[in-house]
Amino acid sequence: MRLEKCWFCSSTVYPGHGIQFVRNDAKIFRFCRSKCHKNFKMKRNPRKVKWTKAYRRLHGKDMTQDSTFEFERKRNRPERYDRNVTENTLAAIKKIDKVRVDREARHHAKRMKPKKAQLQREAARELEQNISMVKAPGALQQDPSLTLPIKVKVSKPEKVDNRMEE
Amino acid sequence: MAASNSSKLFRVGRSILGGLSNNALGASRPSSQLADMDFRSQQTRTFIQMRTSLKVVDNSGAKRVMCIQALKGKKGARLGDVIVASVKEAHVGGKVKKGDVHYAVVVRAAMPRGRCDGSEVKFDDNAVVLINKQGEPIGTRVFGPVPHELRKKKHLKILSLAEQIA
Repeated sequence: MRLEKCWFCSSTVYPGHGIQFVRNDAKIFRFCRSKCHKNFKMKRNPRKVKWTKAYRRLHGKDMTQDSTFEFERKRNRPERYDRNVTENTLAAIKKIDKVRVDREARHHAKRMKPKKAQLQREAARELEQNISMVKAPGALQQDPSLTLPIKVKVSKPEKVDNRMEE
Repeated sequence: MAASNSSKLFRVGRSILGGLSNNALGASRPSSQLADMDFRSQQTRTFIQMRTSLKVVDNSGAKRVMCIQALKGKKGARLGDVIVASVKEAHVGGKVKKGDVHYAVVVRAAMPRGRCDGSEVKFDDNAVVLINKQGEPIGTRVFGPVPHELRKKKHLKILSLAEQIA
């Protein structure tokens, strides 16, 4: 059984799932679910719809270039069955998948990290522009109008214990 | 609406030069093409039943046939079913003539049809291939994609003649 990719969202279409549309020029459009099929019927472009893989790849949200993707490529040549090769492949799938997941996590972490230098530069610029608004501590003490009125805590009388006596 | 338009055009043609009327006719052509496109995109997604008009996708000489009896199913025929059809339009000098009654296999249907694995398949239009009483195709070529379900229905000749199998 071959696991196909959805034409719209690029997710895997497992056997028995979804619908496929055959255009008159024999191009086959496979869809993983009715959501993707409906979006196709509405003539939406998957590159412009934010939740699709095509959009995420195009806008640098996901990892695009990686050697682990090479293993998942579609091959048109059927492989001759060999027990040892199959065993090795099954073992390798797990390892490769782990590597891919780790790399994707690293990519995500790198993308989410704020740009430290840029933030610092922006803060420095703001400080330089608005330095006139900051007063020295000595000036504040001399002119009380510059400081906010100090709130004085009023101590409340303690509550009298007036429980009902039994 | 179209009738009123054409009458207006006719009046214009009569009142002014003939060349102008030709121009007007030329301008009206794209609108009719557009209507045709609309019809194609809104291909009815229902059973093939009595009076359904279908395209003929072989070189038997028929262009368009009308279903006059579905040989299977209570509601009508679906993808891969056999129908009885009457030829409504035919090429001159073909094997079949207008008014002939033939058996035909539905090789493309706009209505989704479940596949053996539970997924669904649908096509752009409703199309048939004419066959004789023994189930052999009348034409010698089949155009466009056909579904692999025809193998299950024992129409191997059509499958081997087809350009693409979807």
